[in-house]
Amino acid sequence: MRQRVDATGPRYAHDEAVDFVVIGSGPAGGSVARELTRKGFGVVLLEQGRAIPATEMEHDEFGAFIAERWTNKSDTQPQTFRASVRDAARRRQFVGYAMAVGGTSFHYTANYWRFRPIDFHEFSVKGGVPGAALADWPISYEELEPYYTAVEWAIGVSGDVSGAADEPARSRPYPLPPLNITGPGVLLAHGCQRLGWSSIPAPMAILSRDYQGRSACHNCGFCLAFPCEWGAKSGTNHTMVPEALRSGRCELRSESYVRKIETDAAGRVTGVIYFDADRREIFQRAKAVVLSANGAESPRLLLMSKSNRFPDGLANSSGMVGKHFMFNGAALVRAEFPHEVNGHRGPVVTRISNQFYDLDPALGFIGGSGIDVRFDVPAILTTLSLPRDEPQWGEAFKRRLKTWFTHSALGYAHTTSLPVASNSVSLDPVMKDAWGLPVIRTTFREHEHDLRLYRHMQGHVRTLLDAAGATALHPQPISDDPGFTVHLLGTCRMGNDPRTSVVDRFHRAHDVPNLFIVDGSSFVTSGRGQPTLTIQALAFRAADHIAQFAQRGEI
Amino acid sequence: MALSRRDFLSQLPLTGVGAVWLAAAVSCAKDAEQATEPPALPHDAGAPARVLKVLTPEQFQVVEAITARIIPSGDSPGAREAGVVWFIDWALSDVAADQRPVFDAGLATLAADVAAAHPGAASFAALTDAQQDALLRARESTPFFETMRFSTIAGMFALPKYGGNAEYIGWALVGQEHVWEHRPPFGWYDRPENQQALLGRVL
Repeated sequence: MRQRVDATGPRYAHDEAVDFVVIGSGPAGGSVARELTRKGFGVVLLEQGRAIPATEMEHDEFGAFIAERWTNKSDTQPQTFRASVRDAARRRQFVGYAMAVGGTSFHYTANYWRFRPIDFHEFSVKGGVPGAALADWPISYEELEPYYTAVEWAIGVSGDVSGAADEPARSRPYPLPPLNITGPGVLLAHGCQRLGWSSIPAPMAILSRDYQGRSACHNCGFCLAFPCEWGAKSGTNHTMVPEALRSGRCELRSESYVRKIETDAAGRVTGVIYFDADRREIFQRAKAVVLSANGAESPRLLLMSKSNRFPDGLANSSGMVGKHFMFNGAALVRAEFPHEVNGHRGPVVTRISNQFYDLDPALGFIGGSGIDVRFDVPAILTTLSLPRDEPQWGEAFKRRLKTWFTHSALGYAHTTSLPVASNSVSLDPVMKDAWGLPVIRTTFREHEHDLRLYRHMQGHVRTLLDAAGATALHPQPISDDPGFTVHLLGTCRMGNDPRTSVVDRFHRAHDVPNLFIVDGSSFVTSGRGQPTLTIQALAFRAADHIAQFAQRGEI
Repeated sequence: MALSRRDFLSQLPLTGVGAVWLAAAVSCAKDAEQATEPPALPHDAGAPARVLKVLTPEQFQVVEAITARIIPSGDSPGAREAGVVWFIDWALSDVAADQRPVFDAGLATLAADVAAAHPGAASFAALTDAQQDALLRARESTPFFETMRFSTIAGMFALPKYGGNAEYIGWALVGQEHVWEHRPPFGWYDRPENQQALLGRVL
């Protein structure tokens, strides 16, 4: 018998329809569960990962990055990849996410940037791009703004835009002041100041002060890909999920792996079939289902949920499920400095520049970028990143390790990615996972305009680091294969037209009245690099509307 | 910390923006002093028992000698003192079990090359540093060497519970600390006087 996280919560019977089954406990699902239970609804919250206690939250780089300790597993859930539909897909882990209660917010870096108005209507402002399906969102920044604010205050985002001239309108300031600035943050501010570029404290979902009974950040430095042993990083495992459980209306079932969303002859969802921790198949009835499994697993589950009525997969009459897979592009330059940066201490990012957020299409591409300077990974991966034209072993190698670790930082331009229909998540026709289910097959190749954008931004990052006083620059080569991604966006895009989108402006599936899809898959555009706050704001907004529909009997 | 935070603060000139920052920082320091430990900090699992799982005693000596050429001992401890070979032995029994053929084949080839180049030598481990380096340089671009290099680096810096990085001496080599918190200033650039010099203000 496995230990239950919530020993005192409700128990919903499998054969009685609960108000909502929510699939996924990350920034989207965890938030939807919290909002719906606070509004009085019953929720069964299914999470394929385990509830991981603070006692296991070690500074374990080998586990985090190499041994898949807290992430999706390549042995039980392999994946395949191909660059184009003409290529044979080969086994390769391309999509990464945290597998734990809290979803990927369990181990996120916690960059909590808002999108800006241009992200919602870039197509109208700048026009289309050949080979891409750039489109406007059916909602505006103004429509989402109250939910951005609600999330920021619900979890305690640290930041300050009081001195910035070019920030979009906001109804409230940040609830917490910025985090302690780190060496990489000072270097970004210094470079920007010398160049006349703007910079602001990074908005982060990390507590700069104690907030709502949780501890302020202790600057341990293990953020990116690590859980927070202090609970200062505001993942849903520390915020939304415990709050949902405290409502007394949420039953969390961790280690529950959903294989199908079931529908009836009328085309309505009746519940979900999942495997529990002991691989027993369970059918949980539900009045409605909210799918928040992430931008790769949500489309996969829809495609696995095909039936006679939905032969191409559930909610897929448009054929758009799994299409327009977007990540966020990146242009990286590592730089060395004359003094100790020690960026491994403190949060990964403490200051950013939005100087290039909205770039002129005359440059030959559409999009933009946000920049930070950071120290992103601990000793194993930082050592492995030593330039290949330097000694790779022996005395000279060893002598180099200390300054490479303490005196370097990474300039990072986060960028838009264009939505391209052929970039997709689909079901591999051959490979099966350990449960016998078809695995994720990713098809992806960078759009030429995005490659131009990355090269353009890499130039700006070099300029920035140079102005900050770098003594050596090491740009990371840009290729049309991004290698690996954790930002999973766009695969069940939102829109007003059922022929070209999967969900409507309220996240209801066009084809299925009692199915809602809320996570990174809802995105129409990628934003400039940091999607999680927008995922969570969309979840707050969706829950608001879903609750109203339910109260009016419109589900 | 050798130098307490308050001692450090008292050495700074109290002027202008810096004074405001210091007032805030001192109040933060007080908060930190009052803060209790979190309910449960992670288990700090110690090193496992040193019992060979996969490597033969002969292989153990050779692998240890190779790791000691990749991150040599000297002024500071190297892979040998960190016990990286124990990490590799564990990894080959667990997460890297699929690498065993590469290891076994690479070690066999190396043994043959040792015998050919240095007749009478007991093993790679018995050669001089220069002789060892020459043999390794000759196979720098092989999957065997790349695997050895990767696992030496991983074992140097992975948590001691995986077998290497004994008492965190790998972390000490690069300047990474086994602590649950840091307090500013973290490095040279964020020291208030250096922020003042670089930015004309303290952020």
